[in-house]
Amino acid sequence: MPDDTVPADARGASGPPAGPTGAAPPAPIGSPTPPAAPPRTRGAVIRWRGIIPLALAIALFVIGYALFAEPIARDTTAEAASELLGTHVEIDRLTLHETSPAVELAGIRIADPFDRMKNLLEAGRIAIELEQEPLLERKLVIRQLSIERVRVGTPRSTPAPPAPATGFAAQALGAVRSWREQFDVPLLSLTPIDTIRAIALDPAQLQTVQRALRLKGEADSVRDAVEAAYANLRLRETLDSARNVAERLQDANPLRLGIGGTRQAIADVRRTLDELQAARRRVEELERGTRAGLDQLRTGVREVDDAREADFAFARGLLQLPTFSAPDIGNAVFGDVTIDRFQQFVYWSELAQDYLPPGLDPRRKPGPRRARMSGTTVRFVRARSYPAFLLRRGDLDVTVDGEGLESGTYTVAVTNLTTAPDVVRQPVRFVLARTGGGSGVSLRAGGALDHLEGRMHDSVTLSAAGLPLPSFAFPGLPLRADLGRGTSALAFERRGERISGDWRIRTSAVSWTPDAARARSLNRLEELAVRVITGLGDLEVSAAVRGTMREPSISVRSNLDRLLSDRIRAVLGEEVQRAEREARAQVERIVRERAAPIQAEAQRIRSEADARIVEARTRVDEARAQLESRLRSLGVR
Amino acid sequence: MLALLKLLQSLVKTLHSDGTPHQIALGLALGAALGLTPVVNVHNAVVLVLLIMLNVSFGAGLLGWAVFTPIGFLLDPLFHRIGAALLLDTPGLQPLWTRLDHTPLVPFTNFGNTVVLGSVVGWLALFLPIYALGRVAVRRYRTTYGARVQQWRVVQALKASRIYNVWQWFHA
Repeated sequence: MPDDTVPADARGASGPPAGPTGAAPPAPIGSPTPPAAPPRTRGAVIRWRGIIPLALAIALFVIGYALFAEPIARDTTAEAASELLGTHVEIDRLTLHETSPAVELAGIRIADPFDRMKNLLEAGRIAIELEQEPLLERKLVIRQLSIERVRVGTPRSTPAPPAPATGFAAQALGAVRSWREQFDVPLLSLTPIDTIRAIALDPAQLQTVQRALRLKGEADSVRDAVEAAYANLRLRETLDSARNVAERLQDANPLRLGIGGTRQAIADVRRTLDELQAARRRVEELERGTRAGLDQLRTGVREVDDAREADFAFARGLLQLPTFSAPDIGNAVFGDVTIDRFQQFVYWSELAQDYLPPGLDPRRKPGPRRARMSGTTVRFVRARSYPAFLLRRGDLDVTVDGEGLESGTYTVAVTNLTTAPDVVRQPVRFVLARTGGGSGVSLRAGGALDHLEGRMHDSVTLSAAGLPLPSFAFPGLPLRADLGRGTSALAFERRGERISGDWRIRTSAVSWTPDAARARSLNRLEELAVRVITGLGDLEVSAAVRGTMREPSISVRSNLDRLLSDRIRAVLGEEVQRAEREARAQVERIVRERAAPIQAEAQRIRSEADARIVEARTRVDEARAQLESRLRSLGVR
Repeated sequence: MLALLKLLQSLVKTLHSDGTPHQIALGLALGAALGLTPVVNVHNAVVLVLLIMLNVSFGAGLLGWAVFTPIGFLLDPLFHRIGAALLLDTPGLQPLWTRLDHTPLVPFTNFGNTVVLGSVVGWLALFLPIYALGRVAVRRYRTTYGARVQQWRVVQALKASRIYNVWQWFHA
């Protein structure tokens, strides 16, 4: 094995001689045959001359940091915030104060994730003072946060760029949009009265008939199964054998039979009793086996009955009746506006549930974006330590002077906002209040995110007076509702998957203006509705969202829908009732002809199967009792 | 193509430098870290400092970086699995990771990233094999083809290039 110190020329190489540290000095440029090199050695371990390029590299790094650290940090922060919040975030300037340590952001604009032409929040300056020790552990613990020149809901001159399509917030936004689509908001139908028409129902369209036909198939298969199973019981042979034994021993006497005969008789009776016991077990198995089928028939019969109500609704739909039930009108008119309100809370609650997870399990998130695979980055949480992010307390106290709508004193306080609630051991709480100002607006909001010990309980309440209420296009009519200023109270609560929200608004300044974009000629009923609606100056709406994230429901009540419902009923009542009666009669007739016989047949099969099982069990029990009596007469107790 | 030429140039220069097989192989094994693991990480800054300050072949380090970069990309899914197994699927190690995650400066190493941890572990596991293979390969090359290749015009041209002087400055 050649030694490392073998001279290069000895191996055929003709390099320059090595220096004292083992490194060769530069060869003269263009020198074709340098002198033979002395034997190479490993030399010193450290290459001291390397300090110069190393110092150069460090100097370059420092210069690069001074020149580019803040722009890079600004872009990275904006990008990360956009991904975190699921909406575009812009930052004009970022200044790092390494010695404090502190960060100062200027010109912050957070776009509304649901309306790209609006900014959810604008802040002129945000100053963040950080605690030093946690920074060394790559954690952000904010000692003090101050925000200046805050504005909310400001319009944008250009639409915000789309939010990043990756990250949890983008998924949450998609999930909330899907959540919104789950609501069954009825359409307000003000069909002309003269279009109420007679209908001719096709039996095949009715769910009752379809369900009854399925029930017939199920009943046939249950009957066949019961008959086959009953035949497999071989009950007749067992009962005949038992009867023969019982008859043979009817007058048997141990004295006459003798010891051997009696012993034989007892053995015969016991064997037959065992056979009866086995037959009893088979009957019980049959009962268990057919129970599911018989229950299915019972459910089927009930479902046929239930389907009738759906058929009535279907037949009623064919009549093209106008909407005149108050709950339907309420949901149709205010449903979308209500869901718009609540979907924002659902969105922020989705983010809170992901970013503030309970427990002390390792936190996983996608690794940084890079040319290489991102992988997963894991942070390990430990009790009694700093969490990865903590805002102990953030206070904002801003006064906007003047008489404008924004004027007033705003106070916002946030406590214990953290990525590890179980480390901080306190729920996140926030309060917002606005007082004073010339606009007469008052606003109070508060909430808590309690994610301790596995709980996922988010709640927020908001009450406002004198605040402009939403304006919206009245569904189904070329009208625009401007609710003016009024009072609004909103409460939203989420416990895990369960949600509960209430929203109440009251205004005496509602105005109804024609919507030129949807202008058209109106039918008589629509004209009536417009007269009723535009005559309304006061409005009270009470909306509720309940259920789970997967199955939410909404109900809205208002004085408008009650009034509208009463007026439509007064005008259409008799005509509508007659049409409905006719539709109901048609459904009843079809059900009577097509579904009722099948229901009756299914009932009969059920009853017969039940009766056969009961009869089999009774006969086995009787035979058994008879044999046991013989056994006793043979002297066996 | 340019990258390939650079790689060949680097290979020729390294093999015909005055570094011993030990120095070249050590440089290659250190440089492999730059290729096998995601480059913008603290441990790679340490590797770079070692390449500059230790009496090893800096060129071999750059060669190792170039050679092992595509291998690193290919092995990323494996590194991710190794990292995930160590970070998440080995309960016995969780106290260690938790302690490290709460030790000043350590979290900046990104050890909590599955690919970073998996690739560093992979590199450490491959360090000795790369070193041993590199050392054997350099020796064999020098005793067989080295003298002939040294006479090639292209090699002469490479060695006569302007950057060669700067290059040699770093060479062991």
